[in-house]
Amino acid sequence: MKESLDALLGTGLAELEDAQGEAELQELRVRYLGKKGEITARMKMLGGLPPEERPAAGQLINTAKAQFEARFEEVLDRARSREKARRLQSERIDVSLPGRRSALGARHPLTIITDEICAIFAGLGFQVAEGPEIETDYYNFEALNFPHDHPARDMQDTFFVDGSRLLRTHTSPVQVRTMLAQEPPVRIIAPGTVYRCDSDATHSPMFHQVEGLMVDRKITFSDLKGVLTSFINQLFGTGTGVRLRPSFFPFTEPSAEVDIACVICSGKGCRVCKQTGWLEILGAGMVDPEVFRHVHYDPEAVTGFAFGMGIERITMLKYGISDMRLLFENDVRFLRQF
Amino acid sequence: MIVTYNWLKEFVDIDCAPRELADTLTMLGLEVEGMHPLGGGMDDVVVALVEERAQHPNADKLSLCRVNNGREILSVVCGAQNFKAGDKVALAQIGATLPGDFKIKRSKIRGEESFGMLCSEKELALAEESSGIMVLPAEFPLGVPLFDALGLKDTVFEIGLTPNRADCLSVLGIAREVAAKLDRPLRQAAAIVEEKGEDIAGRASVTIDAPNLCPRYTARLVTGCTIAPSPAWLVNRLNAVGMRAINNVVDITNYVLMELGHPLHAFDYDLLAGRKIVVRRAQEGEKLTTLDGQEHALQTSDLTICDGEKIVALAGIMGGGNSEIRDCTVNILLESAWFNPTAVRKTSKRLGLHTESSHRFERGADIDLLTRALDRAASLIAELAGGTVARGTIDVYPAPATPRTIRLRTARVNQVLGIDLAPAVVEAICRRLSFAVSSVEPGVFDVTVPLYRVDLEREIDLVEEVARLHGFENIPTTMPVAEVISDLPTVSQRLEKGLRDMLVAQGFNEVINFSFSHEGALDQMLLPADDPRRRTVKLLNPLAEEHAQMRTMLLPGLLETAAKNLRYRNSDLRLFEMRRVYLPVEGEELPVEPLHLACLITGRRAPEGWNQDSQQADFFDIKGVVENILAEFKITGAGFDPEQRESYYHPGKSCAITLGTTVAGSLGEIHPDVQDRFGIEQPVYCLELDLAQIMRRHRAVAPIVPPPRFPDITRDVALLMDDALPSAEVIAAIRRTKAKELADVEIFDLYKGEHLTEGKKSLAVRLRYRSAERTLTDEEVNRLHQRIVDSLVSSLNVSLR
Repeated sequence: MKESLDALLGTGLAELEDAQGEAELQELRVRYLGKKGEITARMKMLGGLPPEERPAAGQLINTAKAQFEARFEEVLDRARSREKARRLQSERIDVSLPGRRSALGARHPLTIITDEICAIFAGLGFQVAEGPEIETDYYNFEALNFPHDHPARDMQDTFFVDGSRLLRTHTSPVQVRTMLAQEPPVRIIAPGTVYRCDSDATHSPMFHQVEGLMVDRKITFSDLKGVLTSFINQLFGTGTGVRLRPSFFPFTEPSAEVDIACVICSGKGCRVCKQTGWLEILGAGMVDPEVFRHVHYDPEAVTGFAFGMGIERITMLKYGISDMRLLFENDVRFLRQF
Repeated sequence: MIVTYNWLKEFVDIDCAPRELADTLTMLGLEVEGMHPLGGGMDDVVVALVEERAQHPNADKLSLCRVNNGREILSVVCGAQNFKAGDKVALAQIGATLPGDFKIKRSKIRGEESFGMLCSEKELALAEESSGIMVLPAEFPLGVPLFDALGLKDTVFEIGLTPNRADCLSVLGIAREVAAKLDRPLRQAAAIVEEKGEDIAGRASVTIDAPNLCPRYTARLVTGCTIAPSPAWLVNRLNAVGMRAINNVVDITNYVLMELGHPLHAFDYDLLAGRKIVVRRAQEGEKLTTLDGQEHALQTSDLTICDGEKIVALAGIMGGGNSEIRDCTVNILLESAWFNPTAVRKTSKRLGLHTESSHRFERGADIDLLTRALDRAASLIAELAGGTVARGTIDVYPAPATPRTIRLRTARVNQVLGIDLAPAVVEAICRRLSFAVSSVEPGVFDVTVPLYRVDLEREIDLVEEVARLHGFENIPTTMPVAEVISDLPTVSQRLEKGLRDMLVAQGFNEVINFSFSHEGALDQMLLPADDPRRRTVKLLNPLAEEHAQMRTMLLPGLLETAAKNLRYRNSDLRLFEMRRVYLPVEGEELPVEPLHLACLITGRRAPEGWNQDSQQADFFDIKGVVENILAEFKITGAGFDPEQRESYYHPGKSCAITLGTTVAGSLGEIHPDVQDRFGIEQPVYCLELDLAQIMRRHRAVAPIVPPPRFPDITRDVALLMDDALPSAEVIAAIRRTKAKELADVEIFDLYKGEHLTEGKKSLAVRLRYRSAERTLTDEEVNRLHQRIVDSLVSSLNVSLR
């Protein structure tokens, strides 16, 4: 009995080892352990043994069954892993092929820079304000202390609609409109489109400005220097050289042009900065008392500063664009780079 | 304004280098926009002394000279006759390169060695013609480069003056600023006029008929002049500052103009009828031919200078051809007057005559300077044109101007600038600027400013002067101390930004087109003649015909942009523009400027790629954009109305976007005729929306519903119907059943073609059922679904497929 069982088990185990794949293994399991399996058949033969031999024989058969079962699981596991490894090996793809993409758009560079400038000033507590692009002579010039028939008006070549209406030449009318609508304190930033009849590689008849205005008690020229220095350091990088030099605008006094150390040559002198080491990016100054008079503010009680900058120029400097016309040609091969 | 370094040094001692001076000027508000050197590269031409002049042994017409260059005695052969031993001459030494790339080498002339060349003015390009060599003034130092000795080595500064600084339109004016900044004295010597002629009183007269336009007129008479070319120094000076030399008298008036800043005019005295000057307004229609040969028709607002019979000059702008200095002119009447800035500006603008003279008068000339400028010119004419100056000056000045006095408070200076200057510092700065200062009380001054400072009228103007001279760089940098203001951007600002970001995320590129447009663009869009968008804001002075009016819609610009990109072979486009349009409003002074959005899709739906969807975009791509926008702004109840058609869309593939009873915009495929007019050869899908309408209806927060707790059960139905029946009506009919458990309806397939009768379509609809209270049973759902399907079949002309 024992000998024949050992022989059967030996054959079974050997067959398991030789089996090819999961299906063959399952077949062997049925052949030995199934309802009509060969090991199962031995169990059925127990009844034919004398009662005192049965327990020992039963134990022998159970051990054989367990041994076969254990080996079966082991071999099956091995076969499955081999199979998985084979499958993984065969499923290899070329990961260097491009992925499946949806189209990505881009904001216009002028929008990107305007948003950036407004965000910096928002951090300093400035609100965004807006005004009309088709303006009256009053808001665009007169209330800003540009007298009629004054050479100061030649600084800005104006598109006229008729004698009293025009395309605003700067965003400064928003200053007047804002102050007329509210009492101090005022802290606004006004981005917008402006127009001048001028067109070449560095001038566009339509362009964009950002205007700033702060009016309160005790606002000083030194505060103007502080706010603009902080702004320039955020926009062009900490430590960017800043220089204010005297200039003239009818609606500010004292007035200043604000230069930054050339971002191309870091102030050493190059073609972009015309060898001066400086780039003009802003006009600024203390709000002229005459402007306060037009908006019924008391110039003895409040002081303020205003500034304005061309967004095209800053965009061109930030991205190294040399021809302003690129900004308005709307070639998608240009626009997609932003 | 152009000045030179040496010319400035005639008025003020400057010991810094030109580069440093340029920085000083810029930081004073006189921006140096360019600088370049003059007279460089000729250092080997030096001042030398002729020690001995002897006949050349082998040539009659040559001399053999021994010349001292300060270091050694050289032997030089020379062909000129106009010099003698003891003269100082210009010696081009060996190694020098003269104009015309003429190199001086050691040479042998008729057997005698020559170590250099004695030069004429022509050879040095200092004059057009010259006879003989240059004989230099005896005081010129030996061995010094000639151009240094002549003062021709110089640096030119181009200064960009702001329009308020009329006082700096001269060398004197700029020197005055430098003197104030450097705290140095200004050399102000008045010209000494030798009056050798008879009294002017008996020979000329001046009458001012328009004293408000001409408050002062001065004149001098110089007789017996010889009109000739100017000497080299004068020509060089004028050339250096960008003026052309004409003749000695005209050049002198220009020289004085540049030096002192006051425009003068020289009349040929013998051409003045009645030997008199009358300053009067022109009569309507009077004509004058100015000395540039242009004839002008004048108006009563123009101020003229007349003689006894006719107009001889446009006051402050340009002289007339009928009295100008000619080669045969002998006697000269010099005018130095002051004209009203506004009047000069008006006439000069109207006639398009912008001159050095009008430029200064319209900005405000110095009424105190008139006789000084006159004297300077008269003495130069006497010197250079051999004239005799008549005794006396005509000076008609009925109401002399008084300088302005302005009160200046030190406290105000410090309040505006954010500094802490002592009163003494403020006072010192004023004095440096040649202002008269008197103390009213501690820290408060009455400051009297010279008449040439036309820009200084108010205290704030003086505050600026203090800041300028103190130096902006010496004002501290502080941050303002102010109340915190915290407020979100306005709703429309936030929505605008959100919408832009959303479109970018959907693959759209933002474009910015000019706000200008033209009638032709609206024609290209096939807009009917009575379309309200044909009412536009027109410009009086457009730069180009296609920029003649402000746009009332964005699509023409966007189509233009698309056409351009398609020409560049960018064939898959998703573009948007979010900008204002300009719509005139009856009875309002200003138009409204609503923010519009236009989008355009053409070409492939997805980017090109090996495994990308390569289908072409269609109407439903652009419609999906609108639906996304509506969803983003949480707007419900928008309609798409195919009956309200725009001329520029395909009539079968377009609709209006309605919000209640108003039309917020439209979308569709561009009409093939419009496509042709823009030169576009592939289908283009567009939308244009009035964002104000969208923003007005947007909801910041829609009510939030918790996710359902019980499962959905779906049932599909395929419905057969006429192709013309809009799917929206089917959906609406399903919705109308108002079944509480019907959670959602969606169209998941549309079929036309094979197996279906012509003119029919099959619409597959998925209905999703759900209860908020419990899990529905199949039987319940079946009953409900059957009821909905039955009601569909009975209410619409549809059948089950």
